[in-house]
Amino acid sequence: MKLFENPVFLTHKRLVHRNGVLAAVLIATLIGFSLLAGLISYLTDPGAFHFSSVQEAGKTFYGWVIGVEILVLVVGGFSRVARALADDRKAGLWDSNRLTPLKPAQLIIGYWLGPALREFYMAAALAGFGLVIVLAGHLPLTLWLGTQVLIAGTALFFGLLGLLAGMAFQRSQGILIFLVFLFAYPFSFIAPSRMLTNFLLPIYGIGNLFSSRSLSETYHSNMDWNGLPEIFGVPIYPVVLSLGLQLIIGAFVWRALVRKTANPFQPLLLRWEAVALFVVLLASQHALLWDLWRGQFPMPATNSGRNYFDRETLLPVVHGGTMVIGILLLAFASPSPEHVRVESLRLGFKNPGAIFSRSAVSLALALAVVAGAALLTQVMFSLAGSFQIFCVAAVNLLEIFLVFALLLEFCRLRHRRRALGFVALWLFILCIIPFILAGVFSNQAFARISLLSPGFLALSDRNDPEWRIQFWTLLAHFGVIVLLFIGWRRQWKKLLQKAV
Amino acid sequence: MPDPLLAIERLRVDFPEVVAVNDLSLALEPGDVCGLIGPNGAGKTTTMRAISGLQEFTRGSVRVGGHELAREPDELKKRLGFMPDFCPTYDQLTASEFLEHFARAFAVANRTQRIEECLELTWLTDKRNSPCEELSRGMKQRLVLAKTLLPDPQVLLLDEPASGLDPLGRIELRKILLQLHDAGKAVLISSHILSELSGFCNKAAIMERGRLVKFGTIAELGRQMGSRRMSVKWRVDTGAALEILSSSGAVKNLEAAGFGAAFDFEGEPDALDELLKTLVVQGVRVCEWRGDGDELEQIFLQSGAKELM
Repeated sequence: MKLFENPVFLTHKRLVHRNGVLAAVLIATLIGFSLLAGLISYLTDPGAFHFSSVQEAGKTFYGWVIGVEILVLVVGGFSRVARALADDRKAGLWDSNRLTPLKPAQLIIGYWLGPALREFYMAAALAGFGLVIVLAGHLPLTLWLGTQVLIAGTALFFGLLGLLAGMAFQRSQGILIFLVFLFAYPFSFIAPSRMLTNFLLPIYGIGNLFSSRSLSETYHSNMDWNGLPEIFGVPIYPVVLSLGLQLIIGAFVWRALVRKTANPFQPLLLRWEAVALFVVLLASQHALLWDLWRGQFPMPATNSGRNYFDRETLLPVVHGGTMVIGILLLAFASPSPEHVRVESLRLGFKNPGAIFSRSAVSLALALAVVAGAALLTQVMFSLAGSFQIFCVAAVNLLEIFLVFALLLEFCRLRHRRRALGFVALWLFILCIIPFILAGVFSNQAFARISLLSPGFLALSDRNDPEWRIQFWTLLAHFGVIVLLFIGWRRQWKKLLQKAV
Repeated sequence: MPDPLLAIERLRVDFPEVVAVNDLSLALEPGDVCGLIGPNGAGKTTTMRAISGLQEFTRGSVRVGGHELAREPDELKKRLGFMPDFCPTYDQLTASEFLEHFARAFAVANRTQRIEECLELTWLTDKRNSPCEELSRGMKQRLVLAKTLLPDPQVLLLDEPASGLDPLGRIELRKILLQLHDAGKAVLISSHILSELSGFCNKAAIMERGRLVKFGTIAELGRQMGSRRMSVKWRVDTGAALEILSSSGAVKNLEAAGFGAAFDFEGEPDALDELLKTLVVQGVRVCEWRGDGDELEQIFLQSGAKELM
């Protein structure tokens, strides 16, 4: 079915047009025209501005154009798509559409491209003015082409994420995208060409297209926005890297959306998909870091002639990111206990082994193995000196994933609707309270017992690792896991007995 | 023997604290209009959602025109129309645009003509250009019914279709259902207002706490009833009427009141017809002869189905 025969797309197009697009396009035109007028004004009277060249003026005005474009297309488009799907789900129209012979992919395409048409029109108007500004500012056409491709790719990627949000939540989509930017923003400046977030959101790609050596020297003396990022030491165009990552992750999101549309009772992520996604993300991140240590961590990082904010903190930051992504994947792939109970009724299984293979606990083990393997790439040529660091960090990740998976399922089984609150409470007790106690009593020993601490300490505090304390801390955390496992097993047994 | 149009076998739906539908089996043939009756919470809506594929079921099978839901969901979608108990519409579209959306989705041939037919069938022709948000609840309900009828499905699941309709709308709904019956469609229609269903259902399925308590044709279920409360009135009191009634072995609890009587009849429907014939032949001028409450209501009351506590 062609796009212009897709009823969902056509209906949303009709709804967008009915609500009016002219005003929105006029606003975009006005913004674009104002920026173009600014450049023309500079060209006619350069003395009135503080730009050193036509190119710099062009870049400044074009920078504003793409800033507004990103705001409209990525942020606005995301919210629009997420809200359209959430509203239709609430109204029962999503189910009505699902009961038609339309294929899940056709439904997804309709919701992906239809509700955000107004934002596409606005972006198109802005892109037109952007082209004129680029040409008038004597800037290379590749700047316009590269930035537009990146913005379009990101808009489509975020459209898919918006559908995911609309499918999973009834509201708060705006907060979600705010959190994504809030999460990504601080990392953008730690080591621009090294952080994966800078490529998932095309921050580095756009910055790189804009930067020239002179501008870099002027404005970004402490940062690295020039040159190409490297994957295991091989240079790659940032535009290609961003689009490639968005394409791969977008494909997983697409699969999840199509599967959920066909059968809404399945988990959002299949277990192999969660593992594959984790592999892609961690492999890319560690590949971007590769040439710093070339497998010889904790040897001093190589400089490669670039300025880094603080290269020694990168591995602990990546360790933290690994935790967050692992926990998110576990949450998405964790089965609903009710679904497992119904499956046990249907298939007749009653043994805990069958539960284990369906639970997120086995997935936690798989993710820990992937995280360990990814970390190994940084230490593999210096294992004699870094074995303890590697072990502590890897075991710490294993413990965190296991605690989260066990806690999530235990709370879902025991507290049902209040589960998330209890998960947050227990994670707060296990991870944050020790830091608060350390502050209150001015004693760092408290901070060491936090579930988060061992890995960070091993990777960052290399001069004073105190391996003995680390070992006992890990052992104590393992005790927590054993207790959780006992409770988790008991809850599942109860549920299975109910199923019988 | 050909497959029934709708065949449900041992359907079971589990909710966290309750078995919403338990071991439900029923079959509908072409032309069947079956009332799915039960108190609130009996599992009627869940049953319909499970048949349409919107609700995951634990066990059992659903077949429409020989196509099983689990194996051929797309074939099922072409043959089954589901009208939910609320009215999902795109508020800013007009009635005809709303129907056009679904006509495209179902790849309906002669789209414009079919939309007009469905609008006419549901008495919405003059509302074709009205936005859905301006339609009353009853009109929206008729519009959703029109949407359900658009692809001309073989099997229709109508969940409380008359709940928002005015008396005229209910009469029209009856006409539509009779047309569907004549066209050989199978219709499963749920309601807890029994008077809505009487008159056009030839089958009834009574649910209680997720279980199918009774299922069969109205005649069969009538025969299964232990007794039926009847009332009779006549014009001239000759004493013969009471004598005939009291002499019938099937008449119990006879209560005379002026020119009339009420009694429980324990016998086959044919025997009841015979009793009336005897009264008339013996010269009793019968001016009223009716069951107390309609037939479905009596079947339901005698099934023992109760409100869920």
